[in-house]
Amino acid sequence: MEQRTDSPYPGRDRPVLAVIGVALVVSTVLFIRSDRARDFRYYQYEFRRQVAEKLGADKAGAVPSGIQQVWVPGLRRADRCVTCHQAVQWKGFESAEEPWRTHPDGPLRSHPVEKFGCTSCHGGQGWAVDTDEAHGQVAHWEEPLLGRNLGESYTLADDKAALMQMNCNVCHRYDRETAGAGAINTGKRLVQEKGCRACHVINGRGGTIGPDLTFVGDKAPEQYDYGRLYGQKTSFAWHVAHFKDPRALVAETVMPNFHLTTKEAQGLAMLVLSWRRASVPAEYVHGAPRTDPQTAEEAQAERQMRTGPGAWFVKTGCFVCHSISALGVKSPAQIGPDLSVAVEDVQARFGRTVDDFLNAPTGTMAVVLSRQIILDPEQKAEAVRMLREAFAAHQRQKEEERGRTPNASQGKH
Amino acid sequence: MTGRGAPPDPAKPAAPGVHPKPLWSVRPASDREAGDAIVSNFLLHWFPAKALKASLDWNYSMWLGTVSAALLLLLVLSGMPLLFLYIPSVERAYASVKDIEYVVTFGSWMRSVHRIAAHLMVAVVFLHLARVFLTGAYKNGTGRGQRREWNWVIGVGMLLLTLFLSFTGYLLPWDQLAYWAVTVGTNIASSIPFAGPKIRELLLGGRAIDQPTLIRFYVLHVIALPGLLGVLFVYHMWRIRKDGGLARADREALSGERREVPPVKTKTYTLLGIASGTSPAIRATTLEAPDATVNSVPDLTRRAAIVVLGTIAVLSILSVFIRSPLEEPANPLVTPNPAKAPWYFLWLQEIVTDTTVHIGSFTINGAFLGGVILPGLLVLLLTVWPWIDRSPAAAAGAWFATSRRTQNLVFIALALAVVLLTLVGLLCRGPYWNFYWPWEQWPEIPARI
Repeated sequence: MEQRTDSPYPGRDRPVLAVIGVALVVSTVLFIRSDRARDFRYYQYEFRRQVAEKLGADKAGAVPSGIQQVWVPGLRRADRCVTCHQAVQWKGFESAEEPWRTHPDGPLRSHPVEKFGCTSCHGGQGWAVDTDEAHGQVAHWEEPLLGRNLGESYTLADDKAALMQMNCNVCHRYDRETAGAGAINTGKRLVQEKGCRACHVINGRGGTIGPDLTFVGDKAPEQYDYGRLYGQKTSFAWHVAHFKDPRALVAETVMPNFHLTTKEAQGLAMLVLSWRRASVPAEYVHGAPRTDPQTAEEAQAERQMRTGPGAWFVKTGCFVCHSISALGVKSPAQIGPDLSVAVEDVQARFGRTVDDFLNAPTGTMAVVLSRQIILDPEQKAEAVRMLREAFAAHQRQKEEERGRTPNASQGKH
Repeated sequence: MTGRGAPPDPAKPAAPGVHPKPLWSVRPASDREAGDAIVSNFLLHWFPAKALKASLDWNYSMWLGTVSAALLLLLVLSGMPLLFLYIPSVERAYASVKDIEYVVTFGSWMRSVHRIAAHLMVAVVFLHLARVFLTGAYKNGTGRGQRREWNWVIGVGMLLLTLFLSFTGYLLPWDQLAYWAVTVGTNIASSIPFAGPKIRELLLGGRAIDQPTLIRFYVLHVIALPGLLGVLFVYHMWRIRKDGGLARADREALSGERREVPPVKTKTYTLLGIASGTSPAIRATTLEAPDATVNSVPDLTRRAAIVVLGTIAVLSILSVFIRSPLEEPANPLVTPNPAKAPWYFLWLQEIVTDTTVHIGSFTINGAFLGGVILPGLLVLLLTVWPWIDRSPAAAAGAWFATSRRTQNLVFIALALAVVLLTLVGLLCRGPYWNFYWPWEQWPEIPARI
């Protein structure tokens, strides 16, 4: 018998090793289970059952199982939404509950799912295959599903599903009007009507009194000041509140209150948030306008203002708030009084001459003339001369009018 | 149970140095078979045939080095499949990590194993270093030619490599966390006078964090640093054998009284190798007493298995429950608030902010002091400490030796300060690096919609 050293260890260490063996088995079971147990298995099982019930076992056999995806290399998207939403392209499930419902046919005909994927329109996280992650309702995902639930949380006016139109407008931003995007169309109409371009550059065109809005949708949510905003702290909520009353959020702003309705403010907020940099391949936007040109009438009107007798007021920026109707200048915002009668008007309101007022303005003009429009003494003299000219033109026009319709003007007095 | 396989053919001569048995014994019948098990096995050849009971003690080393090695093994094992799945490109890195997270079979678990093991390794390697310091295990004892101080230096190098490995891995997912942690880290490097901007440029492969940075960090992370760590690891283990095992062995040799050891008839296996012939009756130290050691197979190997498999089991279970975060895609235009460095550098970030002084409109940046001078000094001190430590050899391998009381207290105080600053940075710093108690609510972080 060869020598063998005694050891005190086996008695103590073997049970420990056995416990660790058990822990290894448990951990193996755990990680395999956690990888296999996914929501989509239930949804696929249920969809197959519904298909079998409605269309027979043969069709049910054709329902794919496992993770499914729509891979769109052009848009760099791999959308796995169809793993659970299997009915998207099946007919006959139009009234089923989600996620087993057929997709409405109209939008899919012009935007086939194989070419556009799902998330380019709906938002959400296409990579994910678990409900919360896929719907983007998780931390660190900034593009949640733009669905009815989110719309309801903002109490959208009219169409609760309208938020999705923001994604329509990523490609359709240069359309004057996009079919099916009512909220966005409202916003676009307001941009024209209210003359936002008087102060803001939009798509490379406009004034420089306010910030450039061309890509304002890319502005990070952290960059807004939520100090005076109640409720949800999101860029969208900020814009809605800001459109309704700019001064309530930014005390020192010169942006006028346009007294918009909630629906209008929401449409505008969706529109501006849709103004983002997006590298959409050319093949995706054929047929849609690629720039935002003025119509012939718009261009003509603008040329007249810029080159006509009132050009000085346009160049200097007065026209943003004031019309000078006598010189053919129409203000987009029309916040201030018409400057055609300023010579008389200032005297009547403040008991001062125009020269005096421009040298030491009060009220809103004190703010504007110290921040937005800064005039040196020579320019002030020029302003006074132009205002007198405008007044003279105004009086001339009145004379002419009186001459043409003596009865009507006499009738007033 | 002896090794299975065909019995060696007696007609054939044994090749010199090759053991005829294909497998090793887990239950050797004799000391000779236990020794054979070590000699004949490639994986075990670095172990001594006999292990000192005192060195196997859970309470002495806490097996922290073995835990670190097990974590390194896990990192390599979980890193291999990730290598096949991850794409080191600015355009595709983030998406490839999303795929690993959501659709690769076991992908999320694998990534969590890799991430948690990486974080734990930083902590465990530091604890191992603390253990070695507090037991004075970098000190030489009785043996001739011992160079434990150099193994300590290698160990410090391996800690730095572990930190740098973790830091380079941080960038790879190319999310906001990655981008801004690396921004903070490399900006601190650029505060070195004169050379700073050049060093940052070298690290980044340019002046901004972009594709050249990603590929640099990637190659460092998957080839250069692990390769270097592997070489140092092998040398670290080799030195332990050359230095006569753990410092605990020297302590046993020095403290034990000499006593009579009965003569041994056959070949014996000692710590120093194989001695043949009959040993005379000698007065040996406790170290050589037969009841001081056990056969490495199976007692050392069983404990090593407990530690390695235990680490694997714990990591595996943790990784099922703790998923790895992935933030928004990297965006150079939006700085997360607060932008924090990885947790093991937070004590430095904390010092940087605390030493940044505002006098009127002037700012004296603390990055050089807090980010370069202070950690540089600490690493330098750590490295040269074995030459500064003048305590007697008897202090080697003993927890809290009285002759090393002052230095142990200073070490503990510094370590606690680092831990405290790390905790403050981790738990108490909110937006704009303002102080918040952990139970205080941070201001709401706005979303886009």
